Amino acid sequence: MTISTRGRYGVRLLIDLAEQCAKGGDHVSLAGAAERQGISLRYLEQLAVILRRSGFIRSVKGASGGYALAKTPDEIILGDVLRILEDDMLVADPPAPDTEETRLQRCIRQTVFNKLNERIARVIDNKTLASVAGMTDSGESYMYFI
Amino acid sequence: MKISSKGRYSLEALLYIVLQPEGDYVSTRSIADNTGISVGYLEQLFIPLRRAGIVRGVRGPQGGYLPARAPDKISVGDILRSVEGTLVPVACGAQDRLCDREKNCISRHTWKELYQEISGCVDSISLADLSESYKNMDNADYMI
Repeated sequence: MTISTRGRYGVRLLIDLAEQCAKGGDHVSLAGAAERQGISLRYLEQLAVILRRSGFIRSVKGASGGYALAKTPDEIILGDVLRILEDDMLVADPPAPDTEETRLQRCIRQTVFNKLNERIARVIDNKTLASVAGMTDSGESYMYFI
Repeated sequence: MKISSKGRYSLEALLYIVLQPEGDYVSTRSIADNTGISVGYLEQLFIPLRRAGIVRGVRGPQGGYLPARAPDKISVGDILRSVEGTLVPVACGAQDRLCDREKNCISRHTWKELYQEISGCVDSISLADLSESYKNMDNADYMI
């Protein structure tokens, strides 16, 4: 029942991009992000590929190139990001099509797993990158101006 | 974010136990026959479940396991925590001072919120609720 390093670090990379952009930069070099976040550059490169392919970030070409968010932080939904990085966010796989679920298993799925999946989805789908990064009006840290 | 097979099998085994006539010790053999979980695996699961005060066991030919408390006093959260260790999706979400980035870590609040949601959910479902919903399961609904 844990979120993997991939999910956590991927979210941190996005937060870093959002923060740097809020400070006025129009893109971020991965080396800089690696240093700020204490994550290895090689790992960030792998994450950047996944995040770019799924349309959360875009690459900026050139000698001082790097990455930038492909959308504004309030358009990026945490649930979408985690489902890409973690494959899915379900606490149990749905029954395989060729296996028959026992009545006990079905009861537990309906009473526990489905409910948990719904509650988790509700949290992560109601959060944008802006709110995760504390950039919304209600956030305690700082305001984000576009 | 998957619940491990330990967690899934423990829920199944305990649901099976509470569905048996009250006060009857339920043997691992009979749980195994009705769930398909091996006796060996069940014995392993019952070690932490016993330690957590969720089941109690009696040895011998008529031996087996019983819920150690009333089923409405055993939550799904109790069961999962005893076999899964913790339900924290990210270690720092439940414990302070685990990480030296904590002070500046903004995503921590989100993980904490997720953990509270998960905990709240599994703690609100008791073994009695599970057995109730089993009994109320529509047979037609069961036959897909």
